[in-house]
Amino acid sequence: MSDATTSSAAAKTPKVRFSPQRVWTMAMATVTQLIRMKILAFLVLFCLLAVGAGFAFSVINPEQQLSLLKSVTLGALQIFSIVIGVVSTALLLPKDLEDRTLYTILSKPVPRFDYLLGKLIGVLMLIGGGLIVMDAILSLILWMRQSLLFDEAVNHLRMEKMDSAEAVTQMREIVARQGLTWNLHWAVWAIFLKATVVTTVALLLSSIASSTLFTIVITFCVTIIGHGEALIREFFFTPNLSGMTGRAAALLLAAICPDLAQFDIVDSVVNGEIVPWSAVLNMTSLAAIYVTVYMFITHLVFAEKEL
Amino acid sequence: MSDTPAVSVNHLTKVFKGTLVKGAFRAVHDLSLTVKAGEVYGLIGPNGSGKSTTMKVILGLLKPTEGDTSIFGVPSTEVASRSDVGFLPENPYFYKHLNGRETLHFYGSLCGMRGAKLKERASEMLALTGLEDAATRRVGGYSKGMLQRLGLAQALIHEPRLLVLDEPTAGVDPAGSRKIRDLIIEFRSRGITVLVTSHLLEQMQEVCDRVGIMAHGRMVREGRLEDLIAVENQTEMVIENASPALLAQIDALVKAAGSDTRLLRSGHPRTTLERLFLEATNEAKKS
Amino acid sequence: MNRKLQALAVLLIFGVVKLPLEQHVTRDLRAHGMLQEPIRLGVGEDLGQAGIAASLGGLRGLAACIFQLRAHVEFTYVNWAKVDNLYKLVTRLQPRNSRYWEEAAWHMAYNAASYYLYNQELKPALRGQLYHDHVKRGVAILEEGLRFLPRNPRLWEKLAEVHAKRTYQFKDAGDAYWHSFQNGGLNYTERFAAYAYAQSNNPGSWQKGYAILKRLYDAKKATPGLIEYMKLLEEHLHIPAAQRIPEAAPVRQMPPPEEGPLR
Ligand SMILES: Nc1ncnc2c1ncn2[C@@H]1O[C@H](COP(=O)(O)OP(=O)(O)OP(=O)(O)O)[C@@H](O)[C@H]1O
Ligand SMILES: [Mg+2]
Repeated sequence: MSDATTSSAAAKTPKVRFSPQRVWTMAMATVTQLIRMKILAFLVLFCLLAVGAGFAFSVINPEQQLSLLKSVTLGALQIFSIVIGVVSTALLLPKDLEDRTLYTILSKPVPRFDYLLGKLIGVLMLIGGGLIVMDAILSLILWMRQSLLFDEAVNHLRMEKMDSAEAVTQMREIVARQGLTWNLHWAVWAIFLKATVVTTVALLLSSIASSTLFTIVITFCVTIIGHGEALIREFFFTPNLSGMTGRAAALLLAAICPDLAQFDIVDSVVNGEIVPWSAVLNMTSLAAIYVTVYMFITHLVFAEKEL
Repeated sequence: MSDTPAVSVNHLTKVFKGTLVKGAFRAVHDLSLTVKAGEVYGLIGPNGSGKSTTMKVILGLLKPTEGDTSIFGVPSTEVASRSDVGFLPENPYFYKHLNGRETLHFYGSLCGMRGAKLKERASEMLALTGLEDAATRRVGGYSKGMLQRLGLAQALIHEPRLLVLDEPTAGVDPAGSRKIRDLIIEFRSRGITVLVTSHLLEQMQEVCDRVGIMAHGRMVREGRLEDLIAVENQTEMVIENASPALLAQIDALVKAAGSDTRLLRSGHPRTTLERLFLEATNEAKKS
Repeated sequence: MNRKLQALAVLLIFGVVKLPLEQHVTRDLRAHGMLQEPIRLGVGEDLGQAGIAASLGGLRGLAACIFQLRAHVEFTYVNWAKVDNLYKLVTRLQPRNSRYWEEAAWHMAYNAASYYLYNQELKPALRGQLYHDHVKRGVAILEEGLRFLPRNPRLWEKLAEVHAKRTYQFKDAGDAYWHSFQNGGLNYTERFAAYAYAQSNNPGSWQKGYAILKRLYDAKKATPGLIEYMKLLEEHLHIPAAQRIPEAAPVRQMPPPEEGPLR
């Protein structure tokens, strides 16, 4: 076993590089697995909820009704996307390890990073697909409801002999602003970004711990603290508010959690604000930074993990 | 075949870190072994002797505490070392929502195969392992033996030069296990190197060129199978349809030969590897 | 172990480096009205468990909706104190949604006030007192809402309506209508500002109202109501006969409806 033969043999075997095809294979297997686990059943639940929120409560005035429809459905979208991201990520990795599926996968020429990225992309594709479907459902209901409500409101005005051109125009404007606009899709995009960040956190945690429950519990803690991170951060940046220990604790908490409140544009969208491009860009790049760094950390841990 | 060994393990030590409650555990201790290209190497040893652990280190699933391992000259720490290996872990399990064929497609495309070639190869492997009828059934419903066969198909999908099989016949019925042994013999004839563990020593004896016996994480015996089990000063005769009279005659002849020639025993021949195994592992226990 | 420490170090360093970036993005998003200011609670106010959980989970909008529905239920039971409390929660959670302020004020200044005014079971003095208290509460709610949304024409309009129809503070009503118009309110708010000024007892306001009406009249946007109030103001302000409008006023020219919203 001379050095020369060893190195010549080593030279014959080409280095295995990152391969998008392999990541795609991993991602598709993850999506198939999750779909066949009937995880998309929540879409049905969502439809029921959206129809319920859209057509129940006819007691409130039309604009409140539209805003309620949006609040309820977007809130549900938010909960669904985060829960699915966290739970499926926390389930999949330890399950692969427990079932020894990981052995067969990683004993193929598959870099561990490709595996991780494939899993992440798979979960994100599922969330993204679900959000697209739900966005379409919501848009449809909103659009139907919007024209219905407008006709209703105009009829009502006519009955009360108040259907002046001004009043009708005002009603049209109100209903349109509360109805279907592009902003709605940006809100859904923001929800996707938030779910992406939370899912990456779940992946990071599940690469450290092998217990599903641990991952889920800690990820939800991080999610909750992450929503309050802006407050903690401001507390840290406001001098003279507290002693050294308080500030140190605030710094630590703010440092280990991502700021999830930054993706909370849903409420503003429901209130009818217009989403500027700069906001979309800001949120998207911030999410990209979180995901990149967290994936890097995940890889650091997972690359050397004993299986 | 080049003379680069298919697998080389140099002074491998693997210590599992303990928790606060339980101390560290040394599963493999200063183990060295070499599997030459083209041979069938059997690793045997009692439960918990570190066979599976050694295999996982070879495949880069575990990090060695000390020493190193390589496959065809490429260190196991590099992903490239796994380009030419098929691994069948003990009690393999797969994504239970995929069916047999999809499983093979999944592993094949992980190895960079695609298209018609992959489809053809997958069908070929299903036929080889006798899983054609179950190809469209979900893996979740497979029996233990079927999983084992699917594991073998999966290990072979990318035509590897080295097969690492951890108890390939566990849970497989006699006919299936016969089939697997025939396959291993066929692989050898095609120049594929096999590293295999099993507790079924008759089977090992049949297929292995060389064996290593492990106990308590150490290699206690290693060598060519014939060398190991041949006892130089003893001769074994296997006679078919021997009448009691013939046996009495032979006995008389042996006695007549005088000096220290004796008939030690007669009866049906025993698996000598098994005897060796027990001896070797008992020695290790005493020492 | 080594790798885990490295990972922790990266996490902490990144965590500290990201803080100014997050601070910047948050400020930017708030400036664009995309993010809500953190909830500021007054003394003795309580968000309740659901409210706290929602504000931490990014579900303030959803929680506000639920509280609003609960308020609606209480409204059907005419439980006004509860309605007020629930709407307080709603507006704390969603201070930038003008509809919530509007609705809260409407419940207090109109529904609750009228309920007490016509409640036969109460003593007459108490009825008047409760009526005034609730109208005042409605005004307070709108004024608080306007602190969050000072440029919202609808809130100004609602405030003007309460002043014009309930408190009869016509000067305040005129000012509020005027603010509404200034911030993009509908056309009639300009007219209504002048009408409210006309009904006040303050010569300064009359002057303002007259200026508005004169301008509209000259722009040939007179309506029958406008003529009426203009004549009233001409009387109040003792406008010389030569400058007064003729008895037979020109009829307002209505723009064709295709021209879109009247602004
Ligand atoms: N991840 C682990 N952590 C701690 N100890 C481990 C771990 N994996 C294996 N061991 C221990 O290492 C020893 C060797 O295990 P290994 O699985 O290699 O045995 P084996 O020879 O394959 O046994 P068997 O014939 O039963 O398959 C066992 O005592 C086992 O308890
Ligand atoms: Mg084993």
